[in-house]
Amino acid sequence: MADVTIFCFFASYAVAFALDVLRLKKPGRTMWMVGVGFSAAGFVAHTLFLLNAADKGREELLPPLLSSSQDWTLVLAWLVVGFHLFLICCDRTLSVGVFLLPLVLALIGSSYFLADEPSQLLNADEAARRGWTMLHVSSLAIGSAGVLAGIVLSLMYLLQHRRLRQKGGSATGLKLPSLERLSRMNWWSVMVSVPLLTVGMGTGLVLLLFASEGARELSLGDPVVIINGISWLGLMGLFGWMLFTPRATGKQVAWRTLLACGFLLVTVVGLNVLASSSPGFSGHASTSLHRPDDGPVDTGGRS
Amino acid sequence: MNLQVIYCNHQTASLDLRERLAFTGAEQLAAAYTQLRDRFPNSETVVLSTCNRVELYTAQDNAAAAPTHDELAGFLSSFHGVPVEEFLGDLLQHSGSEAVGHLFRVCSSIDSMVLGEPQIVSQVKEAYRQAEANEACGPLTNALFQCAIRVSKRVRTETRLAEGRVSIASVAVGEFARGIFDRFDDKTVLVIGAGEMAEETLQYLRDDGVRDVLVVNRNPERARELAAEWGGQGFGIDRLAELLPTADVIVAATGSDQPIVDAEMFAKARDGQRERPVFVLDLGAPRDIAPEVAGLDDNVFLYDIDDLQETCQRNRKSRSHEIERALSIIENESERFMQDVYHRATGPIVKRLREQWSDVSQSEIERLRRKLSHLGDDDFGQVEQTVARIVNKLLHPPLEALRDEARDGTPHGLLDALRRLFHIRD
Repeated sequence: MADVTIFCFFASYAVAFALDVLRLKKPGRTMWMVGVGFSAAGFVAHTLFLLNAADKGREELLPPLLSSSQDWTLVLAWLVVGFHLFLICCDRTLSVGVFLLPLVLALIGSSYFLADEPSQLLNADEAARRGWTMLHVSSLAIGSAGVLAGIVLSLMYLLQHRRLRQKGGSATGLKLPSLERLSRMNWWSVMVSVPLLTVGMGTGLVLLLFASEGARELSLGDPVVIINGISWLGLMGLFGWMLFTPRATGKQVAWRTLLACGFLLVTVVGLNVLASSSPGFSGHASTSLHRPDDGPVDTGGRS
Repeated sequence: MNLQVIYCNHQTASLDLRERLAFTGAEQLAAAYTQLRDRFPNSETVVLSTCNRVELYTAQDNAAAAPTHDELAGFLSSFHGVPVEEFLGDLLQHSGSEAVGHLFRVCSSIDSMVLGEPQIVSQVKEAYRQAEANEACGPLTNALFQCAIRVSKRVRTETRLAEGRVSIASVAVGEFARGIFDRFDDKTVLVIGAGEMAEETLQYLRDDGVRDVLVVNRNPERARELAAEWGGQGFGIDRLAELLPTADVIVAATGSDQPIVDAEMFAKARDGQRERPVFVLDLGAPRDIAPEVAGLDDNVFLYDIDDLQETCQRNRKSRSHEIERALSIIENESERFMQDVYHRATGPIVKRLREQWSDVSQSEIERLRRKLSHLGDDDFGQVEQTVARIVNKLLHPPLEALRDEARDGTPHGLLDALRRLFHIRD
């Protein structure tokens, strides 16, 4: 169990993805079963790996998910795989793997480049903040998974809509859920992810306020705060519009979800890339904490 | 003796052209048969007009009297007011055994858009019934159509063509409506028309869970009858505009020669509910729903018969083995039918030859009886039997040769030779 490496489940998901792509050309029950088998095996290995990481975190008095940036990204990928398995078990004819598994592979792949050092956001002597931090990270992780699901569902909706309008049918073997179901799932992904992200960002700010004691001051004019604020406002706008516009068409919902969630994703990824490539930039990041003599403590990608 | 068919179908011609050449309703068919009789008085004719095909079968005893391809195309052109050059390239022709094989393939649904669909058999039967009612058919077409129906039964029994999705409605709902809606038990279905196609679509939708059914028809009584069978409500066509906005699924399957729902009517129905997807299936040919309806908003999903082509082709590919089996049955049956036809052409000559030889032998036996009056009846019985055997043995080689020749077509040369050799007159 302790020997499980990232490569184990990455390889399983890669094979499952290849089988899903093959299934577009040659649909068959056997290939579906083998694909599900690889996804499930990867999911089990993935779960074991995270449990190991969580145990390691406990030894250092750090909560699970917070052991490192790498773990956090892997948790996000784990949630997406869980969603994928749920969908394909509901309807075995669906081709959702071709949309979700590349995302999973990208998340796991990116985790190679992220720090696997335990985060110093929560030090052993600051156990009082453990609950807040746990709430912050878990709500951000689930909220981010919802955002990713929203993007994928919107893409699937737009593709299915285009196909039906062009009277193409399922010629390529790409079987997607109905527009009605995609629209409903998309709605729920936004309804769940936006409040969670709001909670995550709120608790992040509280943690930053705690952490700023003895560190530099939190500045509302910081570009990262502004960009994150704009992304969040965009999502809140979408949230309110979906709640109070019952007559919105599915296509409108899909486009707006894609734009708002896509913007958030690009922002988060962009900030992480900038933070890792330019120490000067991360120095300004309100989501990255600097402690005297500690070096940068990354929370940026999560807030 | 000659059989031929000219036709255009979903594989050769667009729906636009097919609907311009279609024969809709009994009145138009009656007018067509009157014109056909005037133009080709020596021919038996049967018109088969469905949403997927327009076919004209002709048959005559004298091959020389058979109408030409151009003459038949000319009839279609003048009857429908469509210039010949607009469809001549899409109009195919078969004659003889190829024409027979074509009808057998049509009737066995191998030529149908949806492989294995059962509706074509009743359409072929109805086409023949109309020809009969208009006194346009005769013994040859009768034999041909009876045989086609028998062959289609054999194909359905001996192959697995009729398994799976075998109706246009089932393909449309399975392929497209299921891509739009997750479930049907909370949807309202509006069926325009109360014919066989409408009924079949309702059956399929009902199996998918549809509960709320509205049927609209020119004849409100028929609409109510059909709706009652499916636990729905029936209305006259005058209520159509009022009912359109309530429907999530609209199926149009009427025999109308004009669109029943135009863009203006549909736009009014969509007012204030453009967020609701609506699945519109137009099974009519000519179309019942104006094609412009599809462009009214993003949530209108309109499909006509030609839009189902791609799906049907995939369906066909997946059952290629069954098609081969069916084609082998059809080839075998076509050959048998043609042999019967050719054999029938030799029948009168054979009958006369037998009668002639029988007459000669009888008169010779009578002469012998007069000369040998001392012989008893038993003895003459023996003589009669011997003479009959001699006649049969002498007749056997020419008749056998005739039968062999008739396998590949009417043996005109041999028939002429027999007429001349044995002085047989028509």
